[in-house]
Amino acid sequence: MELQLGLALPPPPLIPIETFDLNSYGNYETREALGTNALSWPLLKLGPADNDINNIHHHNSSSSSSSSGGGAGCKKRSFDEAPFFDEKRNVPKTLHLLLWTNQPNDEDDDPSNVLHENSSSAIFKNDGEGLVGWPPVKTWRKKVHHQIPNGGAENNRLPAVENGIGGRASKSTYVKVKMEGVPIARKIDLSVHHSFEGLTNTLMRMFGISDGNRKSFKLTYQDREGDRLLAEDVPWRTFIRSLKCLKLIRSRG
Amino acid sequence: MQKEMAYSFPDEVLKHVFSFIQSDKDRNAVSLVCKSWYEIERWCRRKVFIGNCYAVSPRMVIRRFPEVRSIELKGKPHFADFNLVPDGWGGYVLQWIAEMAGAYPWLGEIRLKRMVVTDESLELIAKSFKNFKVLVLFSCEGFSTDGLAAIAASCKNLRELDLRESEVDDLSGHWLAQFPETCTSLVSLNISCLGSDEVSFSALERLVDRCPNLRSLQLNRAVTLDKIANILRRAPQLVDFGTGNYAAELQPDVFSNLAGAFSSCKELKSLSGFWDVVPAYLPALYSICPRLTSLNLSYATIQSPDLIKLVSHCPRLQRLLVLDYVEDSGLEELASSCKDLQELRVFPSDPFGVEPNVSLTEQGLVAVSLGCPKLQSVLYFCRRMSNAALVTIAQNCPNLTRFRLCIIEPKTPDYLTLDPLDAGFGAIVEHCKDLRRLSLSGLLTDHVFEYIGTYGKKLEMLSVAFAGDSDLGLHHVLSGCESLRKLEIRDCPFGDKALLANAAKLETMRSLWMSSCAVSFGACKLLGQKMPKLNVEVIDETEPPDSRPESYPVDKLYIYKSVAGPRFDMPPFVWSMDEAVKILH
Repeated sequence: MELQLGLALPPPPLIPIETFDLNSYGNYETREALGTNALSWPLLKLGPADNDINNIHHHNSSSSSSSSGGGAGCKKRSFDEAPFFDEKRNVPKTLHLLLWTNQPNDEDDDPSNVLHENSSSAIFKNDGEGLVGWPPVKTWRKKVHHQIPNGGAENNRLPAVENGIGGRASKSTYVKVKMEGVPIARKIDLSVHHSFEGLTNTLMRMFGISDGNRKSFKLTYQDREGDRLLAEDVPWRTFIRSLKCLKLIRSRG
Repeated sequence: MQKEMAYSFPDEVLKHVFSFIQSDKDRNAVSLVCKSWYEIERWCRRKVFIGNCYAVSPRMVIRRFPEVRSIELKGKPHFADFNLVPDGWGGYVLQWIAEMAGAYPWLGEIRLKRMVVTDESLELIAKSFKNFKVLVLFSCEGFSTDGLAAIAASCKNLRELDLRESEVDDLSGHWLAQFPETCTSLVSLNISCLGSDEVSFSALERLVDRCPNLRSLQLNRAVTLDKIANILRRAPQLVDFGTGNYAAELQPDVFSNLAGAFSSCKELKSLSGFWDVVPAYLPALYSICPRLTSLNLSYATIQSPDLIKLVSHCPRLQRLLVLDYVEDSGLEELASSCKDLQELRVFPSDPFGVEPNVSLTEQGLVAVSLGCPKLQSVLYFCRRMSNAALVTIAQNCPNLTRFRLCIIEPKTPDYLTLDPLDAGFGAIVEHCKDLRRLSLSGLLTDHVFEYIGTYGKKLEMLSVAFAGDSDLGLHHVLSGCESLRKLEIRDCPFGDKALLANAAKLETMRSLWMSSCAVSFGACKLLGQKMPKLNVEVIDETEPPDSRPESYPVDKLYIYKSVAGPRFDMPPFVWSMDEAVKILH
């Protein structure tokens, strides 16, 4: 397929991408469909196949006729107008919207799975703690809400945290800390710390290491990929973002 | 005859006339009249606003406007606020500072938003600009109190230092002591974002003491309640004040001292801060409440009855930021007490909880819309909504310019009818003809986008999440919203069709962000190839997009218009589609 701009595409990829006449689409006038106040559907006219696509989530569009006079327009039938998209194209249905050809694919490569995976992977990306960036609350606002709402809290103290049932878990800012030679791990709240100095101070206190002995310990951490790194080799922000757990080790020499 | 008229004014006269023209839009229009006006205008432009630091290069700006005194730059896309933009993406200001250091010795004002500012940049600012007056770092990161120390020490006439919402590596509070004794020029100081426990309070007190023009002061959380009175007594001329911690054991002398200090501030109109509030100390504010026009209680974890009491003392309130502890009852009180209210923001106290923890519903917002006819700007987090409520709000508040609704659970339908919320948001765009900014949430089909495309003619910024059914939705927006500048979309089933069909539209916008959608890598390449005025960037932290088939959707996509070409500071997980094309050919 070639664009009307007269430029040929590179050799078609394995799964051909739909190409469009950039000129004609851009000129489409939506206003002409607005003769009346009724917000009727044929604002954009689609072929019958796209009809199915629009019902991918089975939203019953006819029930949203509570809109201001746009009732008549909200029905599937209105899609049967002159097609906006070229009828001759192979517009696949529903879940195969992303699969632009009928060629079989590996399941891994199937883009329709990918969209699904993309939305659910957002959940897993955050290690099961919920969708990344949702609800859209800035990071430093999240910290506020961990306070006990009686106005007297001086330190952030987190109530019991987990809610692993696919819902949104409370955002835990606690990480495990182990010290070399000590069998029991502790937990530390990262949200109250803003620098390595502060963090180290807290850890020294936590494990009862005196100021004199401080130098014989090094702070290391394990990041998301499982690598073990020296905490002070990276900037604070990188450290905070990638760390999974902490370990205090005795420094050699 | 007309030609002569244009030349009959000496340049000085034109310059003088142009000096009354402040807005960028007007200045840009002036510069298009004729060549000589272009020349005169560019030499006398003093203020430059760059909404996307990658849209133009420092050199280009300097070349065109040689005498700039004030610059404003924005870096990362808005969704960076919610961790959707990976660290290291970009937005570095250093190169700008370096180039301006040579070109603009008289640069006096730098305002940055969502940019990465290093200590090196701050030190360079301190060294390079002898007349430096204003530094605003809004939602910036990458610097420490060492950089601030350099600014404090060197900038002899510093008027404004505003670090709002920035992430600062707080190494020590002693940077405040770096302000020389001769510095008496401060008008505005916002250190509310600093986390340190050791703000050098004595240095702060002395600073406040010697700056008689200080109008705006926002302390950080580390400053305790008992210190507030000291500060206020040294600065009774304050107009805008942010407390630190507002908690202490209730002691009568502390209370009366505090109340007295507040009442001595006759100009105080705006309050914020209020971390860790002890409600018993709120009445200390009552003397100034009648004058208050702005109140930010969004950190105050106080319950509705206390909030109601406070708010009922503030009849002149125009702006309120509050947590959802205010509840519907609190908002009803707000609606009856504060008839001048223009802006309301209600934040969630428990954004990740599955069950509602407070009784805040759509009713609260409906009540405010009914009681506050001047309402213009809304940001509202809640857990349920109905089309009926949205229609009511739209009809009550036709003057809304910003409407951002976040229903916490994605794809939540109208709780009464279980319908999508298309009609409700449709009513908002239809009735609010001056709407410039809109954020959607809840269950939404392509219909809502049809409404938006039809009615949202003044809409400049649209945020969409978990909405729509097909490319039709995106097409409605791109083809209908004439004023659209910024569009940010996440987790919507929008793919190649609408994007490619409206490619030209993208050149009229500042930027488009799409993440977790269905735009294929091939489409991105095509856009990058066909649209040289756009930078098309694909973000993928897991693997290179060309290691998969071209039809595979990209993880994140950021497209913006630029005259500077592809940028040079992209991290490994950002791919420019311009480069990809170069490699192909």
